[in-house]
Amino acid sequence: MTDFDAIDALLAEARQEVPLPPAEERRALREELNVSRAQLAKVLDVSASTVGGWESGREPSGQVREKYAYFLEGARTKLAAADPADPVDSVDGVAHAEEETGLDDVDVLSEPQPCVLCGRPARHQVEGFPQHLDSADCAPGDPAQPVPPAPEAAPTGPAASPARGVKVVPAGRRVQPADTPDLIGSAVAAALDQHSGDVEAATAALVKRAIPDAMALLDDSRKGGRYDVVAHPWLPDILRKQSARGADQIWEARPKWTRPELPPGEHEVTALDVNGAYLSALKTHLPIGQLEHSTGGDHDRRRAGVHLITPSDWDHDAYLPNPLGSRDEPGPLWVTEPTLRLLLRLAGPKYGLCDPPEIHESWTSGATENLLEKFRIALKDARDRAIAEDDEVTLEYVKAMYSKFVSTMGESNYNRELYRADWMHLIRSQAFVNLWWKAHRAYDEGLTVVRAMGTDELHVAGDWRAVFAEGRGVTEVKVKDVYTVGTVPSTG
Amino acid sequence: MPERNIEFGKYGARGIKGHEAVARQLDALATFIATPITTRRGLLARLHYLTRTEHARATAREAGLTVTDRTLRAWLEERRSPSKRNLEKIESAYRTVRRQNVSRYLLLRLTREGRGTRVEFHPLNQSQVPRPRQRAVEYRTLNVRHWDRVVRAWAAGDDAALDEAWVNDVVVDLGSQWGEYEFVTAIGFAA
Repeated sequence: MTDFDAIDALLAEARQEVPLPPAEERRALREELNVSRAQLAKVLDVSASTVGGWESGREPSGQVREKYAYFLEGARTKLAAADPADPVDSVDGVAHAEEETGLDDVDVLSEPQPCVLCGRPARHQVEGFPQHLDSADCAPGDPAQPVPPAPEAAPTGPAASPARGVKVVPAGRRVQPADTPDLIGSAVAAALDQHSGDVEAATAALVKRAIPDAMALLDDSRKGGRYDVVAHPWLPDILRKQSARGADQIWEARPKWTRPELPPGEHEVTALDVNGAYLSALKTHLPIGQLEHSTGGDHDRRRAGVHLITPSDWDHDAYLPNPLGSRDEPGPLWVTEPTLRLLLRLAGPKYGLCDPPEIHESWTSGATENLLEKFRIALKDARDRAIAEDDEVTLEYVKAMYSKFVSTMGESNYNRELYRADWMHLIRSQAFVNLWWKAHRAYDEGLTVVRAMGTDELHVAGDWRAVFAEGRGVTEVKVKDVYTVGTVPSTG
Repeated sequence: MPERNIEFGKYGARGIKGHEAVARQLDALATFIATPITTRRGLLARLHYLTRTEHARATAREAGLTVTDRTLRAWLEERRSPSKRNLEKIESAYRTVRRQNVSRYLLLRLTREGRGTRVEFHPLNQSQVPRPRQRAVEYRTLNVRHWDRVVRAWAAGDDAALDEAWVNDVVVDLGSQWGEYEFVTAIGFAA
């Protein structure tokens, strides 16, 4: 029932928005102060047409709403001080409405009649339908009364629609709810149904079909996308496996680093585990089409691929892992886009940790970060929901989907739909780069980085809770192990 | 350009014929024995494949492995080793038989009960063509439903028939610009 709690929280939050006077009053307040729209817009840091929109019924939200409310409140106080009989503050609702509503079809009722929207007595009518003009008055307080449909959209307050809106698409002359099939949810439901609720059997069945399902989800997520997923491009030889079990020539820069020595004393080391490292790494600059060869030392930020570089020396091995991982032999090597970007960034003025690498040649293509973005978001949302609902089946399924998707997108016979060895390397490297940045962040915040290894493991000593949030979300870390290193210095 | 190319590569374009790329991809999907025939392991694997059943022996003989059973037995028991010419014969017979055996299942997978397979056309390489002669040839995809002629020609190892089937059954469906895709860098599809 946690989802109801979440809805309650959302409701409580939604009601905390600052109430604003009705739309027509906003304009009157501004005009009586002789403030132009442009002036107000400049102060609020929005465009003049936005202010115009607010004055004709749209509702600002967030921080700018508070600022706008402050302005309106200030204007009202100022006008009230200048003219005590100002109609804005007048108790006489009839006179107030006559003057303030700029609409032609609004009439003032001598006798209050039940509002068509909320059923409580209202003093105005629009085109013959009694209703409240201010959405703050018009709160549906009495659920016993049926709510007839309003012929004209009355200004709806933020409190009136707390739930997420329904996405609609045009269909003929009408609209219909947008077709957003929940592929993951329906697959899980079908599997549970088929195995009559046997969680283990359903999980096994789902994990077995994770790869084709991930491909279907990818296809679905590219609907209306700008770029096609090019699944079988020609690949240069450096990306081809040299033998059946061999590797290709790309260095993914997998970190495998242990700090050579710790400061004296006893240290409590915490092994942290990054959640869903490969899931987060799906957001990386991926080459869209076939890779093209180029030589020369330039790096084009709009392209991505693999690069032959000679890295510069790394002098910080004592406290930070080498961004290239534990490389045994010196000399030029093929690295991927994320690694190169990391090296270039570290060579930049902000960090200045090393010299820029020398780029000899590159196989690149025009790149985008958004190719797998919808796919990633769909998986991440399903994962978050599964964690919130404690749904182990979905969690396992999602995990199998993204991990197998990444591991089989190269030359794997388990997934022949996608032959992108380059993407596989780039995504893995991105995961390693993300881990490196976590290590750097820990170092930057004063923690002692002890180990960085694999895809997602980081050992730190110190108060890591001040740096990283603990949890199961993709931005959080979880504790794998806590151990003690060193001895207590003997006090002599 | 609605027709076949007459002088391909005159201005430096590079590519292979579409049907060659298709045959390459189909071969990759058929997965032959990876170990080369020059090694003992590779040779024995091929010989076993060709002599496992009476039917396999017959097809191997049809595919050009015209040696006596006694010789085959001698090769299998490693009393003798095949000459260089016979090694070539074994290799070609093996590929032909393997293609024939696989083609039935490959066809089923490519047709996917009538839904067909999405085929990617990666255009020819124009990097060596002078700039004014370069043309915008895009990457194209096409869903191909009818594979039987293509797969039959590939299984028979008949290049001319494969070319004919590929161009007439598939490439023309790209529209009036199909001639730009007679030569390609690669043809990609899954099965």
